[in-house]
Amino acid sequence: MKFIRLLREKHPNELVLFLIFVILFAVMAALSPDIFLSGANLQNMMFQMPEFGLMALAMMAAVLTGGMNLSIINGATLSAILAALLMTTEWGKANPLPAAVIGTVAIVVISLLTGVLNGVMIGYIGIVAMLVTLSTQLVFEGIGLIITKGNSIGSLPAPFLAIGSAQIGPVPVPMVVFAVMIAVSYFLLERSKWGREVYMIGDNETATRFSGIHTKKVLMLVYVFSGLLYGLSGVLITSRYCSAKTDYGSSYLMQALTAVVMGGTDINGGRGTVAGTILAVMILQTVSTGFTIHRVDQNLVNIFNGLILLFVLSVRYITGRLIDIKKIRARQATAEN
Amino acid sequence: MKLLKVRKEFGILLIIIVLAVLITIVNPAFLRASNIFDFLRSNAVYGIMAFGMLLVLITGGIDLSVSSTIVLGAVLQGNYLAAHPDTNIFVIFAIVIAAGALIGLVNGVLITKIKIPPIVATLGVQTITNAAVLLYTKGAWISNLPEWYKSFGGFALLKIPSGNTYTGIYTQVIMLVIIGAITWFILNNMLIGRGIYAVGGNTQSARRVGYNVDLITIFVYIISGIYAGVASVASVSIVGSVDPNTFTGYEMDVIAITVLGGASLAGGVGTVFGTALGIILMAVIKNGLILVHISGYWQNAIMGAIILATIAIDQIKQNRERDHAVKVDVAE
Repeated sequence: MKFIRLLREKHPNELVLFLIFVILFAVMAALSPDIFLSGANLQNMMFQMPEFGLMALAMMAAVLTGGMNLSIINGATLSAILAALLMTTEWGKANPLPAAVIGTVAIVVISLLTGVLNGVMIGYIGIVAMLVTLSTQLVFEGIGLIITKGNSIGSLPAPFLAIGSAQIGPVPVPMVVFAVMIAVSYFLLERSKWGREVYMIGDNETATRFSGIHTKKVLMLVYVFSGLLYGLSGVLITSRYCSAKTDYGSSYLMQALTAVVMGGTDINGGRGTVAGTILAVMILQTVSTGFTIHRVDQNLVNIFNGLILLFVLSVRYITGRLIDIKKIRARQATAEN
Repeated sequence: MKLLKVRKEFGILLIIIVLAVLITIVNPAFLRASNIFDFLRSNAVYGIMAFGMLLVLITGGIDLSVSSTIVLGAVLQGNYLAAHPDTNIFVIFAIVIAAGALIGLVNGVLITKIKIPPIVATLGVQTITNAAVLLYTKGAWISNLPEWYKSFGGFALLKIPSGNTYTGIYTQVIMLVIIGAITWFILNNMLIGRGIYAVGGNTQSARRVGYNVDLITIFVYIISGIYAGVASVASVSIVGSVDPNTFTGYEMDVIAITVLGGASLAGGVGTVFGTALGIILMAVIKNGLILVHISGYWQNAIMGAIILATIAIDQIKQNRERDHAVKVDVAE
């Protein structure tokens, strides 16, 4: 009981999201118990969630500073395309295993570089994040299109394809990657000095700068960290599709933003938890999987997701107002005494 | 401050002139009347929406739902035209304006009454509207539009013969000019125009001065929705059919135009003249790439690079001015 009370006081938002998740999960399970709760389906969900979840974390890191990263998807696909070029060379075909390893590293490194580009523009030059990432999104997509002419680059080496489908026991490798990155994100953002500075920038960038924190460097690292996360997601996406193309994963962009906001991160920065984002990702994944089992039209799923987003935000606003009113009453009562 | 704004627009004008000269050197066809009228026509759709986005950006908001409003308008008019081929253009305008105003009203209420940040509220509305339209149409095209509607779309003032066809100031360009004029009138000659700048400049002060901030905010989103509805007529009348999948991502182009035209995402800044220049700049870039025979695959990369370069130069200039100003203060 004490634990629950602590949870209610410290993390009311995560608790509400968890309840929504449990209810939705129960509803989906009740609607089709033998399919939804089957091992195959649960495993399937664990294969799908990491790609989207990593994208959501990549978006969240930027939103925490009061910014936004619209280039996450195209940063990942561009890295994947460049790495695919490397993996499909004569050398790559002759040496599948080293090619797969170098290809994986290449995706992550190129994503980090795209993060550096965003970081320089946003941190050091000081342009609004949304504008920078809107343009870099166009640039990354454009370079990808120039290389691929809109086609996909396929026939990647077999060991690379194994990344997305391999398992450790019953747990898919993508899920392991995701779990590790959740832990890393948690410790970096919520438990490290750098993380504190990230939240401070989101709250008030000017004040943070004047309190002696190198805000330019912190912002730069935020977008590099974002690059790391979407790079890993890019590895999983490319491995799952067995190929690289500019528009893979394009639906994740707005969904990632939805998950971040639904998870309780303030779009103006300074507030938000990794746990909230992950819970929102789990909610969206449950809805999408549950509806897919019943062959519900994808558009209906989108409508439902949009409604959940607006619903969660409305509830948050109303409870916030109620708490305010309660506080005002309490203050009035003490003033009268 | 005013000087800064004027100088910014002067910079955009300069870029347009330089680009125009370069493109003309490579391909003189650029300056042909038919080419200019054609590329103005094909960019009018973005332009009409950009004027709505301008009002929203000045208040410090953003409207991501325009791309779904234009789909809604296109599908509504397509279906109505298919069912009632002998209707007239005023009914069509009434339908799309009503639909756009409704979407704008929903956005405005979510933002002002439930205090959902504009980017999130309009994203939610975009997702829902877009999905609802696709669910209803199943992505199917509507192509049996009546003849009178097609001739409305092909109508042009000041017809200039070019080859075996003609060119001129097309309906869509006339719509763009009218929308631009209305926007200019709202911003410069109406009390609410002052209010729009006031809300974007400083919401608290605007409220204390006595502006009804909520009403002004709802107003700009309604206008943005209405313009997106009007843009759907422009779009459908050019193409002659309705493709519900073609408008994805339009909101980003519209924001890019408005920002290139000197509006700030932080609010309080932006002019109709600047946005008009932004529309022309975007049109010149797109048209230029084709005329210079650069493959269509290069379009996004070049467009992104130009936007990035423009805003980066602008920001670096501002940073310099700010640092300079600080130094002067210290010296005194």
